Amino acid sequence: MNVVWILAKNTFREIIRDRILYGLIVFALLLVGFSLALGQLSFTEQARISGNFGFAGIHISSMVLAIFIGASLVAKEIDKKTVMTLLVRPMSRLQFILGKCLGLTFVISTVILGLALVMYFVFLGLGLEVYPNFLKALWGILLEAILLLGMAMFFSSFSRPMMVICFSLGIFFIGHWLNNLTYFSEQSESEGFKSIAEVITSVFPNLERFNWRDQVLVEKFIPDDLILATVYSFAWFSFCIVLTSFIFRRKDFG
Amino acid sequence: MNILEVEDLHKSFKKGFIPKTYNVLKGVSFTIPKGTITGFLGGNGAGKTTTMKCVLGLALPDKGEIRFFGDSELSTEVKAKVGFLPERPYFYDYLTGEEFLKFYGEISGKFKSQFDLKARIDYLIKKVDLQHARDRSLKGYSKGMLQKIGLAQALIHYPEFVILDEPMAGLDPDGRHYLSELISETAKQGTSIFFSSHLLNDTEKLCENLVILRDGVVQFSGGTQTFLGQMGRTSHIKYQGDSMIESVEVENGEPLQMKIDELRKASRTIISVSPNITSLEDAFVGFAMDKKRENL
Repeated sequence: MNVVWILAKNTFREIIRDRILYGLIVFALLLVGFSLALGQLSFTEQARISGNFGFAGIHISSMVLAIFIGASLVAKEIDKKTVMTLLVRPMSRLQFILGKCLGLTFVISTVILGLALVMYFVFLGLGLEVYPNFLKALWGILLEAILLLGMAMFFSSFSRPMMVICFSLGIFFIGHWLNNLTYFSEQSESEGFKSIAEVITSVFPNLERFNWRDQVLVEKFIPDDLILATVYSFAWFSFCIVLTSFIFRRKDFG
Repeated sequence: MNILEVEDLHKSFKKGFIPKTYNVLKGVSFTIPKGTITGFLGGNGAGKTTTMKCVLGLALPDKGEIRFFGDSELSTEVKAKVGFLPERPYFYDYLTGEEFLKFYGEISGKFKSQFDLKARIDYLIKKVDLQHARDRSLKGYSKGMLQKIGLAQALIHYPEFVILDEPMAGLDPDGRHYLSELISETAKQGTSIFFSSHLLNDTEKLCENLVILRDGVVQFSGGTQTFLGQMGRTSHIKYQGDSMIESVEVENGEPLQMKIDELRKASRTIISVSPNITSLEDAFVGFAMDKKRENL
């Protein structure tokens, strides 16, 4: 069996047996469940309100998993020194990182699917239509989580988990703000502001590229940049992992 | 063939807000012959763990060469033949003893079937006397139990070479006995073992060879008996007396030479001169004191 796969399975088991995950799931379930109550209060925008809350619950929980668990994914192995018994096994440091990432990605996918199932039943309960495009919105959430996980891994190769969380949250907020920045720079007459905005938009990933949550609720929108967004997410993830592996290769352990 | 050759290994660390360089290893060189148990001795901070980490690729040396099995560098092929137990092992506490060994067995890539792996796990769990705790989570293991399961993970893939960092630390006499037996048995099956320890009685019983490190420099590398012979404080001279064989114990060095000269002058036949073998503990302490005096 491939080393990356075995590591991923073990990481999946590690996170699934962690109590923190269940706290997060309870929070997400409350949010999705809340959408049921809110949906019933509204007469005109039932689908939109329930959908927004449902997707928000799934989005927040997967981002929290990617950033908070991702930040300590490798740091925990180093602190507990378990990394010492792993890296002496027939595996490269890159395989180790990939195995850990894949394991967490499995957990995020499981949580997204589980919560989506709950959301599906909420929609059924409210007698609302469920569009197949909802799956695309969920795929967008997963792509965003994978990108942020790559970022968290990169930051964790040179800083402590608390700093990793701060940096990753920064990337999250900037990434969702880039469309606004582009809009303002287009409206602005200041060349300086335009140049700064251009630099920022090219340096940071645009996380709004994965946000189809509103469109699928309102317009039954079929995102036509699905493949492009997938490539965009995986390109950023790969770039981060290559950098992480480069730094990790030069690290002393123990 | 040597299972491990370390040549001129240097390693330094930078510590502090204004980084200060600490030279931990200052040209460490030694060899581990195939099929032997070699003890790695030295005081706290001598550089034993750092040497082991450099050998295993967990720390990157500043300078020096490390060769495995003749002439190979540390690669995934070499790693597949090496087992390691770190000092004060911390393991995945969410796994049970059996799951833990299964994970390391799978990762080694050595087992063709789950059946073979299960048989190996059963054998090792029995060997380290943990049958009663195989389904218990590692969170509930005592320090000694963790040490035992740690040794089992180091041996799970039938390694040709095993490195153990303080394997006996924190074990009760019973546990030490089990572990000594397992180490001996593993060596008899052809595995070369290199282990560090502060428990010199166990080291003396187990090791044919010793590497002694002090302040990042190898002070002795060779056979345990040679070391003990060198470190004997006194020697026994047997000679032909007036009517019977007599013996006398004399301090090594000049007093010994003077006594031999005296017996020759008196036309006594010297039958043998043999150094009194001391325990490894006494020899090691004596050796450390000598080196300390030399450095003053």
